Amino acid sequence: MKRKNLILTSALVILAGASVVGVAVARSTALPASQPSPIHPQFAFLDEQGMNVLESGAPVSTQRTCGECHDTEFIANHSFHSDMGLSDFGASGQARAWDLSNGPFGKWNPLTYRTLSAAGDGRLDMGTSDWVRANAARFVGGGPAAISRSGAALPSGDPNPENWNWTASGVLEVDCFLCHLPNPNNEARVTAIQAGDFRGAATATLAGTGIVDSVGSAYTWNRSAFTEAGLLATVTIQDPTNENCAQCHGLVHTGNIPLTLTGCDLTNWQTATTGQVISGDDVDQSGMNLADKDSLTRSWDVHAERGLECTDCHYSLNNPTYSVKEQAPSHLEFDPRRLEIGEYLQRPDHNLARGQSAQNTVAPGLRGTMRRCESCHETAASHTWLPYTERHMDELACESCHTPQLHAPAVESYDWTVLRPNGEAVSTCRGVEGASGSLTDLVTGFTPVLLSRQTLDGDSQLAPYNLVTAWYWVYDDPTGPRPVRLQDLQAVYLKGGTYLPEVVIALDSDGDGLLSEAELRLNTPEKVSVIATRLASIGLANPRIEGEIQPYSINHNVAEGEWATRDCRTCHSDGSRLTEPVTLAGVVPGGVQPEFVKDSNTRTTGTLAVTGELLTYSPATRDQNLYVFGHNRVPWVDWTGGLFFLGVLGAVVAHGGLRFFSALKAPRRRTETKRVYMYAVYERFWHWLQTFAILILLFTGLVIHRPAVFGLFSFPHVVAVHNVLAILLVINAGLSLFYHLVSGEIRQYLPRPYGFFDDAILQAKYYLGGIFRGQVHPFEKRPEAKLNPLQQVTYFGILNVLLPLQIVTGALMMGVQLFPQGAAWLGGLPLLAPFHSMVAWTFAAFVVGHVYLTTTGPRPLTSIRAMMNGWEEIEVHGEESVGDNPPTRKETP
Amino acid sequence: MRKRIPVWLIGLIVTLAVILIPVAAFWPRASRPPDDPQAAIQPTPIHTSHADIVQGPLSTPQEVTRNCLTCHADAAGEVMKTTHWTWASEPFNVPWRDEPVTIGKANQINNFCIGAQGNQKQCMSCHTGYGWQEDASYDFGVQENVDCLSCHADPATYAKGDYGNPVEGIDLLTAARSVRAPTREICGKCHFDGGGGNGVKHGDLDQSLIFPTDELDVHMGKFDMQCTACHTTSDHQILGRIIADNYTVDPAEQVTCTQCHAQAPHADERLNSHLATVACQTCHIPAMAIKDPTKTYWDWSTSGQDLPEDHYTYLKIKGSFVYQKDFKPTYLWFNGNLAYRYLLGDKIDPTRPTLIDQPAGSLEDTDSRIFPFKLHVAKQPYDRRFSYLLQPITAGDDGYWTNFDWDNSFRLAEMIMGLEYSGSYGFAETYMYWPTTHMVQPKEDALQCNDCHSANGRLDWEMLGYPGDPMEWGGRFDPQ
Repeated sequence: MKRKNLILTSALVILAGASVVGVAVARSTALPASQPSPIHPQFAFLDEQGMNVLESGAPVSTQRTCGECHDTEFIANHSFHSDMGLSDFGASGQARAWDLSNGPFGKWNPLTYRTLSAAGDGRLDMGTSDWVRANAARFVGGGPAAISRSGAALPSGDPNPENWNWTASGVLEVDCFLCHLPNPNNEARVTAIQAGDFRGAATATLAGTGIVDSVGSAYTWNRSAFTEAGLLATVTIQDPTNENCAQCHGLVHTGNIPLTLTGCDLTNWQTATTGQVISGDDVDQSGMNLADKDSLTRSWDVHAERGLECTDCHYSLNNPTYSVKEQAPSHLEFDPRRLEIGEYLQRPDHNLARGQSAQNTVAPGLRGTMRRCESCHETAASHTWLPYTERHMDELACESCHTPQLHAPAVESYDWTVLRPNGEAVSTCRGVEGASGSLTDLVTGFTPVLLSRQTLDGDSQLAPYNLVTAWYWVYDDPTGPRPVRLQDLQAVYLKGGTYLPEVVIALDSDGDGLLSEAELRLNTPEKVSVIATRLASIGLANPRIEGEIQPYSINHNVAEGEWATRDCRTCHSDGSRLTEPVTLAGVVPGGVQPEFVKDSNTRTTGTLAVTGELLTYSPATRDQNLYVFGHNRVPWVDWTGGLFFLGVLGAVVAHGGLRFFSALKAPRRRTETKRVYMYAVYERFWHWLQTFAILILLFTGLVIHRPAVFGLFSFPHVVAVHNVLAILLVINAGLSLFYHLVSGEIRQYLPRPYGFFDDAILQAKYYLGGIFRGQVHPFEKRPEAKLNPLQQVTYFGILNVLLPLQIVTGALMMGVQLFPQGAAWLGGLPLLAPFHSMVAWTFAAFVVGHVYLTTTGPRPLTSIRAMMNGWEEIEVHGEESVGDNPPTRKETP
Repeated sequence: MRKRIPVWLIGLIVTLAVILIPVAAFWPRASRPPDDPQAAIQPTPIHTSHADIVQGPLSTPQEVTRNCLTCHADAAGEVMKTTHWTWASEPFNVPWRDEPVTIGKANQINNFCIGAQGNQKQCMSCHTGYGWQEDASYDFGVQENVDCLSCHADPATYAKGDYGNPVEGIDLLTAARSVRAPTREICGKCHFDGGGGNGVKHGDLDQSLIFPTDELDVHMGKFDMQCTACHTTSDHQILGRIIADNYTVDPAEQVTCTQCHAQAPHADERLNSHLATVACQTCHIPAMAIKDPTKTYWDWSTSGQDLPEDHYTYLKIKGSFVYQKDFKPTYLWFNGNLAYRYLLGDKIDPTRPTLIDQPAGSLEDTDSRIFPFKLHVAKQPYDRRFSYLLQPITAGDDGYWTNFDWDNSFRLAEMIMGLEYSGSYGFAETYMYWPTTHMVQPKEDALQCNDCHSANGRLDWEMLGYPGDPMEWGGRFDPQ
């Protein structure tokens, strides 16, 4: 250790020397965390009365102090971090019956559980001051801590059922220091707030900066940190860094100490609810026990790795550096009439650009103010490898592929129907094996579930989410349903930190007189009834269990392309990620199936299923109106088509067998034949080209339909071949049609109405009888009349119905990214694709019948050889064949 | 009669062509052609065992060389053209001297053991020749003095000692029969241990590279490449020059990453755009001396005292040291040349650090890029009156390492090398920069954006001449 110090010290001396001679030397140590602000002037700390705190000794007032230059009233009024839902308090149409606003002040969250009581609630859970104290760790102040629900300055207008002494506590102003100082002391701030010292909280934030000395329970200003004029000597005011944001939002990691994270503690709120970690470090450099850690050479978050900060995307909405004037008239490329930097600094909008997450509903008017991935990223040139790029971009949010996996645990479920001895819910994490909460637990991470996200512009895309399921007791208060207060719940379960005997008796499955974690589950009606009865006995009406699923959208922890999902079969397969069941909980309390919360801008009509006690959710592709090739299939189409195909095959085998045996019994007499030039070169060419095209299309179509069965074939290559062959087939069909029209050969394909049925019946009778008896064909095949009536009607159907149908459905499917309206108009892929499959089955059946019937010539291979060489041996019919003459007569010499 | 091709075959070929040509045209391709750096590596010649070829007895080393020359007639002549033999560069014209100068171990000094002149007894153990002594001027034309075994013998069978001669007791026949193409271990005998021990001089070359792990060096570890895979050699002319012992280096004589790797090897355009400003080594060698420590500080002024000795902190013969391990390089602009190389007799300012070598380059020099160096700082003797660096005689019976008399060691040097000594010496601080180019890390372990572009990044932008982080303030090629 000593030597290490010596080495280090010497190295420092040397490196310091290097700078003296002006030689560029890399820094060997990190910069001191706080550097004097390059631009912010020195300023005086003022108290609530506007007096310098050095004179008054009172706590600092941020509104007064910062308000000397900045419009702090404007700032406080333009900050959803302060507002917390106060401004739309009482707005109707909330997700839950007991929700009072869109923000945390009034909107209930099953993770934090406690409820802000409405005025007149029969049982008080939290008044305003209780809410402020309970949420101290994730609330910057201002808003409901300074202004009452009716809009008056506190304390006036506060219902105050808790009889809080607002005069003594003061109000909690917006704490500018928390976000604008490099080393704010949030811990001291939270302690002050929880102790009821709202007025002193901002001053507590300065503990440890040298500006205040902590003496006992009070703070005294350190005069030596100030100039003689009473101004702060060293000003370190700065733009908020990731670390500032991390104090409330989640885990941010920089520096040389490996990142460690255990469990899914709500302290790191965003990390706990989504598994997102904001760090530029590589995952494998962390200190966590991660599965396959060595291979995880991706960074936690590529944007953090590449030097972006939270505020680069979540910028102040009137920051002239970032803001885009959307309202500029179309004839202006750039409108110079905009906020100057000085004006901005005076009134910086503290409403920050935000997205459209499922979980954060505060300030609904500001949803979608943030730019999305594609606002910065060019997507076409970087995704040339991806077939159907636009289609994928339309249906999938970038995060779906670029956040393929979270490498940290996240909350899976909260079960408030039971309580742990510490009075907390029984909660589970996903993405971690072992619940010791220590670094030895194996962190496996988790693959987020993809749900259909309904965006503000009316579009929808699949996007990644973590699903958090919660169950809780609800009772009917005179003013409406309410979650059972935590204190009531605790009273029902616990006394002095131990379970009440009645509870133990009810839940103790193994009869050992103790309640283990595994026994904390209300999985039988009897157990539910015991607790319900106990809740009713303390005066709660109609106590019942309710459950909800809150999707938490995942937009960070983006990986660069190399780490993004690139394998087509991740989605295009039977076990598609799109519908893979995700575990919601290991127990369904009271058998109550949870419901998705109503205000999460997702469409979730998938399937909840209980296997044993495991509750899973399988998303449905219909939520996004998707038909995913290789994954989606319509069983009845495949059954019908397949049976038809097999039926034709069976018929062919039976017919062929009968022919074979009848030929054995009565060898066919050699009929007289002649060589006729039956097929011209072009006819043969288009026929064989179509043959290859159809066979390859059928095969590649089958691979696309069932990729799992043909795992050997690369999905994107098979798709490419299918598309190329389809276009070839259409061109070939078009040229062939042109040839037949111009040459007049088309007439051969047109059944003549006159006597058609007679001829067809004759031909059918031949196939059903005559052929076994060695009779000759009823109709002579001639170059100018190659087709018999049955052939004519078959081709008429294929060429006029099946082929056009297949071409139209295929073209619409292929063109779904160029003109999606076309496909959508015809019901989208979910209708087109099964149709295409059905016609394909019919084609396959046709091919079997067609090939078989070519063997019915004078000799089995005669017709096939003719299609190759052009010359065919055909039976000599004495005269023009006449339909109603019995064919046998023709044989008479 | 000529047999005609059947019509069906023609038809089949035409039909397949009509299908296959469009399929091939639309076949999905990877967006980037794969980079195959290994294709550029010259194959190592197949080893020819000399066990049955070399016939004894061989009693003197010169006899070994004569034996080699019977088959490899040109070998000695080729080696004699190299600095492994001459220990001096081609003459350079430098601005601060009227006459062309050569630079090398033969005639110049560094800030480790300082100089080889007069210290041949020990220093010559790394010369590819025999019998270079202090007193007589060495005849560089004697072919039989070329030491073939120094680079070709199995290191287990051969070792060099005083004046470059084999140490006592070497079985020359066994050594001669063991010859092979040089391996990392053979090159490493001098290049890993230069300066008097493992890893002393280079921050990127030490004995850990004899059996390197994948994590230590991707080339030598993961792919087990030998030195000559990159330092390509023909006719004993080895590619690559150490700038510290030169003034300029013709790019054609230097080893480069692009010998094997593409000019723009990254999939990421932004990374490729760094290549005009940042050398490959800068990102791909995040740390030096990863496993074995290297010397970063050497204070000669404390030598000669009876202090507790420790290889890594103090030796009586050498003074005090600092060794460092797994540490960040020093970053300078570098265009492959030196702006200055200290030449014997150059005046110094003893109050300020003297640069033994100063890499050339600057923000304005578009040929220069940010490059990682190991900085070695020393306090070494200088003449107080003449204000130039002195070179002591350390080896030999009268040398400093025997009697610890600085004064005497400078007077001996004055006699041997003619460097006038006033009788008054002191110790001045000197800097020597060693380019870092080995211990290359694969992309997973290369530097990432925020290693440089962040509040506590490793580059000091202002010292490099930027107004601030070029990510925000713009780079030197951006329109201002």
